[in-house]
Amino acid sequence: MTKDIYVFIETKDQNVRKASLELLSKGKEIAEKLSSQLYAVLIGHNVSGLIEELKPFSDKIIVAEAEILEHFRWDTYGEVLEKLLKKYSPYLFFGASTTTGKDLFPRLSARLKSHIISDAVDIQIDGAEIKVKKPIFGGKVLSWLSYDDDRTLFITFRPNSFAVIKGSYQAEIFIENIEITRDERMNVLSIDKGGSKKVDLQEADFIICGGRGMKGPEHFQILEEIADIMNGRVGASRAVVDSKWREYDDQIGKSGKTISPKLYIGCGVSGALHHTMGMDTSKIIVVINKDQNAPIFQYADYGIVDDLFTILPILKEKLKQAKNET
Amino acid sequence: MNILVFVKQVADSEAKIIIKADNKSLEIENKYTLNFFDEFAIEEAIKIKEKFKDSQITVCTYGSKRSIEALRTAIAMGADRAFLIDNAQHPYENSIVVAAILASFAKKEGFDIILCGRQAMDDENAHLGSMIAEFLSIPHISAILKLEIIDGKKARVENEIERGRATIEVALPTLFTTQKGLNEPRVPLITGVMKAMKVNIPVIDPFTLGILKEDLNSYSKKIKLLSYELPANRPPVKIIEGETPEEKVNNLIKILKDEAKAL
Ligand SMILES: Cc1cc2nc3c(=O)[nH]c(=O)nc-3n(C[C@H](O)[C@H](O)[C@H](O)COP(=O)(O)OP(=O)(O)OC[C@H]3O[C@@H](n4cnc5c(N)ncnc54)[C@H](O)[C@@H]3O)c2cc1C
Ligand SMILES: Nc1ncnc2c1ncn2[C@@H]1O[C@H](COP(=O)(O)O)[C@@H](O)[C@H]1O
Repeated sequence: MTKDIYVFIETKDQNVRKASLELLSKGKEIAEKLSSQLYAVLIGHNVSGLIEELKPFSDKIIVAEAEILEHFRWDTYGEVLEKLLKKYSPYLFFGASTTTGKDLFPRLSARLKSHIISDAVDIQIDGAEIKVKKPIFGGKVLSWLSYDDDRTLFITFRPNSFAVIKGSYQAEIFIENIEITRDERMNVLSIDKGGSKKVDLQEADFIICGGRGMKGPEHFQILEEIADIMNGRVGASRAVVDSKWREYDDQIGKSGKTISPKLYIGCGVSGALHHTMGMDTSKIIVVINKDQNAPIFQYADYGIVDDLFTILPILKEKLKQAKNET
Repeated sequence: MNILVFVKQVADSEAKIIIKADNKSLEIENKYTLNFFDEFAIEEAIKIKEKFKDSQITVCTYGSKRSIEALRTAIAMGADRAFLIDNAQHPYENSIVVAAILASFAKKEGFDIILCGRQAMDDENAHLGSMIAEFLSIPHISAILKLEIIDGKKARVENEIERGRATIEVALPTLFTTQKGLNEPRVPLITGVMKAMKVNIPVIDPFTLGILKEDLNSYSKKIKLLSYELPANRPPVKIIEGETPEEKVNNLIKILKDEAKAL
């Protein structure tokens, strides 16, 4: 068996998702250590425009295009990948631990009777052995796993686990024409893409999170403005989501999303374990809370003890200035 | 409707977890609970039964004797019967093995609707729902937010997709994975708790379900645990001081720029 690494590319609004570029970057590093090749697997409808963007990142690009692949479905995408994987049998098959990845990868691994490790945060090579790092129990413990089999190993990684490093490769392109059929039992009636939310919560580099201390849904406007300035996203604690001030899609924590942005700012969040489990892998954590004994300070790098309603308008102006200067 | 709910007992998030000296095993404080996302699955099953009165709700778990508690919670909420598939003799821990065992249980009985939680709070895999469906050759719909059964033969569901929602019509049998937002799981009534205490829960040997030992062996032990470690501790928080709120914010911005390089 080859030691080749395949990366499933996800797209968003006619672009390659950042999470996929991260996987290509890490995949290249691993492939070099294994003296093997890195393949990007690009599937969809009208996606060939993305080939140029992918070229510098990988050795090869496999493209499968068809109208039936316009929207992601596990049955159609699964069929394409099943056929490709059976044909090429790579050593590792990377995907992102996103809504799409979580829907597709386990089903495909069961179909190929291959193993899968999900929601990993790192991969290393130790001699000829791979080591995969995966948090368990809400990040209270990290496990290191090895793999020893001749079947493809599926791995999904959390977005924001790796840096995007653009190489200068000139990937070779392979076009695959694969016959695809829909699972007739499943009929998609409509798709609502929510509209305005610019960045994905899990992919955002900047997240400003509001807790119950925000006092009401109307006060999230200023968080939206700050998120816009920083090109990031607003998140929320469960107390906020349960009060229907924000949608579940915004929830950070054990029963919501796990995030690792470059900068997290928590405003009026107390720091319950259920919340910190979802955000304590953020690179820099700043919190604003008027109670200096709030547990969230134990998880933070920097803290301001003050009323958030005084701090936020000033913070907004200063961030705007800082952004304009750079 | 013949409804099956797969549930898992997991360590409570408040439970203390200690890595033992060998770095390869864990000591978990004896605080266990029904997996958070599985509560939505049980609640949804009960809701279907409230509409289609002659439905039967079966709950099933693959686990140790201790996990009978999770099955009793499900009965107390309103499930009709429960089965424990005993993992004592074959504590294989990878997802394909568990999926194969659970799928063979489902196949034996035959169900119209199968419900699983979106993911287990301990391994955080989010594997089993779609894997079981694959082994049963039936469709799965992940992370559902709304479920409506139409004329007993198909379902209309809304589910979470990338950056939005889809509305899907699917023929039964189908497996659905549940999440927060689907419903509000009920708190068991005292009568339910009494019933759950008395109910007889059969314990099943997985190899009576028609699975071959060789098959399971061929899946097992390929992924090995090398070690456990604790997440790196963050240094103690720096409280940003200042005479006025402006000064505090100015100092914060400066630190974020110069020290943290986060701006
Ligand atoms: C099974 C389970 C799963 C859960 N999953 C999640 C999850 O995924 N995510 C999650 O977030 N929670 C989760 N929770 C809930 C969690 O335990 C907490 O209840 C929740 O996180 C608290 O939200 P909060 O910090 O916004 O509110 P609170 O705990 O009420 O904190 C509000 C904070 O705001 C501060 N404050 C108030 N006014 C001001 C002001 N004017 N200026 C500055 N600060 C102010 C207060 O000092 C306080 O610290 C879960 C709970 C359970 C049982
Ligand atoms: N041992 C088990 N027995 C029965 N159901 C399980 C078991 N493990 C997981 N499940 C079900 O599968 C879902 C997803 O689990 P996981 O793939 O482990 O994240 C859970 O929410 C349960 O509904």
